[in-house]
Amino acid sequence: MHIVVPVKLVPDLVEELVIDPSGTTLDPDTLRLQLNEFDGHAIEQAILLKERGGGQVTVMAPDVEGVDDVLYTAAAKGADRLIKLCGNFGQSVNNHAMACAVANLIKPLQPDLVLTGVQSHSDLDGSMGPLLAAYLGFPYVGYIAGVTLSDGRAVVRKEYPGGLVAEMEVVLPAVLGIQAADQPPRYVAFTRIRQAMKTASIEEQTVEGLDVSGGPTVSRMYKPEAAARATMIEGKPDEVASRLVELFRELGVL
Amino acid sequence: MPERIDFWGIPHTWGPPEVYAYGIMGLASLVLLFRLYQAVSLWWRLGRSEKRWDQLHIRVWRLIKYAIVQVRVLSQRYPGVMHIALAWAFFVFLWGTILATIHSHFITFLRGNTYLIYKLVLDLFTLVFLVGAVMAAYRRYIQRPRRLTLAPRFTYSLVLIVVIVVGGLAVTSTRLAVERPEWAWWTPFAWLVGQLWLSTGASDQALLNWHLGLWAFHLLSAATLFVTLPMSTMLHVVTGPLNVFFSKLDRPMGQLAPQPQTSAGEPLFVTSLRDLTWKQLLDSEACTECGRCQDACPAFAAGTPLSPKELMVDIRTALRRDGRTLLKNGNGSDKVPALVGEVVKDAILWSCTTCGACVRECPVFIEHVDTMVDMRRQLVNEGRMDSMLQEALANLGRYGNSFGQSERVRARWAQTLETPIKDARKESVEYLWFVGDYASYSTTLTDITRKTAEVFQKLGLDFGILYDGERNAGNDVRRVGEEGLYDMLVHRNAAVLSRCSFKAIITTDPHSYNTLKNEYPREVLDGRPVLHYTELLDQMLASGALKFTHRLGYTVTYSDPCYLGRYNGVYDAPRRLILATGCQLIEMPRCGDRAACCGAGGGRIWMEEQAVQERPSEARIREAVKLDNVQTLVVTCPKDVTMYRDAVKTTGYENRMAVKELIELIHAALC
Ligand code: SF4
Ligand code: SF4
Repeated sequence: MHIVVPVKLVPDLVEELVIDPSGTTLDPDTLRLQLNEFDGHAIEQAILLKERGGGQVTVMAPDVEGVDDVLYTAAAKGADRLIKLCGNFGQSVNNHAMACAVANLIKPLQPDLVLTGVQSHSDLDGSMGPLLAAYLGFPYVGYIAGVTLSDGRAVVRKEYPGGLVAEMEVVLPAVLGIQAADQPPRYVAFTRIRQAMKTASIEEQTVEGLDVSGGPTVSRMYKPEAAARATMIEGKPDEVASRLVELFRELGVL
Repeated sequence: MPERIDFWGIPHTWGPPEVYAYGIMGLASLVLLFRLYQAVSLWWRLGRSEKRWDQLHIRVWRLIKYAIVQVRVLSQRYPGVMHIALAWAFFVFLWGTILATIHSHFITFLRGNTYLIYKLVLDLFTLVFLVGAVMAAYRRYIQRPRRLTLAPRFTYSLVLIVVIVVGGLAVTSTRLAVERPEWAWWTPFAWLVGQLWLSTGASDQALLNWHLGLWAFHLLSAATLFVTLPMSTMLHVVTGPLNVFFSKLDRPMGQLAPQPQTSAGEPLFVTSLRDLTWKQLLDSEACTECGRCQDACPAFAAGTPLSPKELMVDIRTALRRDGRTLLKNGNGSDKVPALVGEVVKDAILWSCTTCGACVRECPVFIEHVDTMVDMRRQLVNEGRMDSMLQEALANLGRYGNSFGQSERVRARWAQTLETPIKDARKESVEYLWFVGDYASYSTTLTDITRKTAEVFQKLGLDFGILYDGERNAGNDVRRVGEEGLYDMLVHRNAAVLSRCSFKAIITTDPHSYNTLKNEYPREVLDGRPVLHYTELLDQMLASGALKFTHRLGYTVTYSDPCYLGRYNGVYDAPRRLILATGCQLIEMPRCGDRAACCGAGGGRIWMEEQAVQERPSEARIREAVKLDNVQTLVVTCPKDVTMYRDAVKTTGYENRMAVKELIELIHAALC
């Protein structure tokens, strides 16, 4: 069983986001990146599957600031192979271009399973999973919250809004968009990461032919503008209630 | 002239009595030594090595003070007196026997007045012993404090020593009854018992027969004590003093031992008994199960699964059960329960606040916290922790603070100050203020942090802060067991500090204070002091540089933070400052080095709340409100403010008790 997990790094929202003077993108100098949360779950799911049934886990990530930490952390969890994707990943790179290029690198690895975070907050043109599946010619199921493997098939759990859960079988090889791993991502002690840095090695692979055309173009990026639209209704509960009803009527919702 | 007669009244029918008396005791001693050897060799061979042989003069001094005079045992009145009575009586009996042997075989000196005084002392200590024994029985079987275990093994020991001493008394008294010497009143107690024998009207021969039988019984019971000692609770008379002798001297209480390493230099995690050092194993063997630690433990009082006493007992049980198997297996597969997780459950380890109360209380100097942290390191290494702690550690790793906020906003609290604070990274300062996470980020505390700055400014201190260069100092990260992250934080802080010019570090947070002062690499401080702000202000008070303009006139009580008081001995400075602000100070029953913990330490503040009967902070508030007229609880730790302000709300004492950081009083009395 060979599981490949392509992940990406996204802006850390804890840090204040600064918009580049061009007004169409984030200022790269103040930007701090971190592993996309869902990709963290994808790695965890891959490791869990390896722990349960054996196999090999390959994690690949684009060469941006902080990528080594992400890869070594994955190694400390149990990933076997770390691949750094080198190339020019300006912010204009869209998921279509990226998926196409990454698929070309994944193909020769002949994976049984490709796990990827179901989405990321920096996706502009759809998420990586379905795009990858299309380029690889594999089936895709997204919004997965649990995977079990049994002879050549994956049984996946998918949660629907309203608390509905579906279990379905997917023929391998397949691409799965992971929303949540079976267990929340584990804590990796610093000592482990440090040990991984000593023992694991990161391979570099060049991403060729990024065709960035055809992606969405950002015409303006701006912070939400504060607008004073909130009205506080004060008074006793029934007064507030009747005033609310009045307001709803005025607005035509009732 | 009265003189000691060896083996008085023991017939020589079966040869000289020395032969079988010494024969039996000699044999018993051999068994004792062999069994002790077995016990000692187990922890000695199983445990990792640790150097505890240095500074012998201090060790001997500790032995005298704590194992013979037993000052820690005495620090609690009833159990102290009880134990002293039993222990000292036995010391005296031991010396009595040694002197008697010297008299028999080397120098005949027990005669005349010397002999009478000898008899008197032994007689009086028999009485002392019996008082102690009655106190012990009353305590264990009638008072039954929760901290004591009711188990047959304790009864066995108590009964056995009583039998030995009463047997000795019976032997002496029958002899007196037969001899009726004129100096009989020199052994008043035995003589009174002798009167009892006489009152039975038995003939001298009958009494002589009794004497012989009792003598034999006394001899055999003493031999039984020897033979069974290594398996009984009496073993503590050997392991207790040993543990005191080998107690920690190389580092202050506030300094944890670094993570152990394998011979290959890789970090070593405690997974089995053999990963503990021989001293840590000895700790478990030395535990007397007196329960003092458990009584003082906030985690136990709260109803968590942790009892520091049971922790030691559990390790000991495992050592005795699995020790030999582990020795035999070498490093092979262990078919014994895992130390961390099975012998000691995760929840037990996570309950500890590392308050150090157990360590402070333990009469035989057991080092619970060090062992606990060693085992936590293993839990962290395996990622076995609750999700809140996991998040806090992840935040600390990524942002350098547990709040998960950007380091860029660390000093945002300072923006609203009228006078800006120097950036110690850019200008040289006299005092470098290491602010700490809670004071920097917690929205409920930043007001206090600003007041601290205002006080410093008002006093004209030349001080600065590190702004976004500061990271969590790592005290609690280390105590959680995340040594790698701790190293990283130290490294980051050290790098910033090494580029700053300052004469001393001041802190407002006792936790940061502790690790900076006791654990940071020497070269970071380079001989420069680390001061808690109360120490600095206390110095200024003494020199006259700090003078208050108002007298506040409150009646307050003060709760010593664990890491300021117990860990670093700063008790007086905050108290002097409180008094100087014109407040009256009333102490809580648990104060000073016995102060109760708020429950936040050791990383507990980052963990999910356990199901508890009463939170430690709430228990503390209830303690404070019992004091007459006290309306303010003064603390000197930002985490205390958070914990106790919550606790006054949850206990419903919000209107009755205000929680104030001392700096607020100082601010009010100054400005
Ligand atoms: S350090 Fe405090 S909380 Fe931990 S075991 Fe000792 S007394 Fe209990
Ligand atoms: S650890 Fe120390 S204080 Fe606690 S029960 Fe044992 S001997 Fe007593």
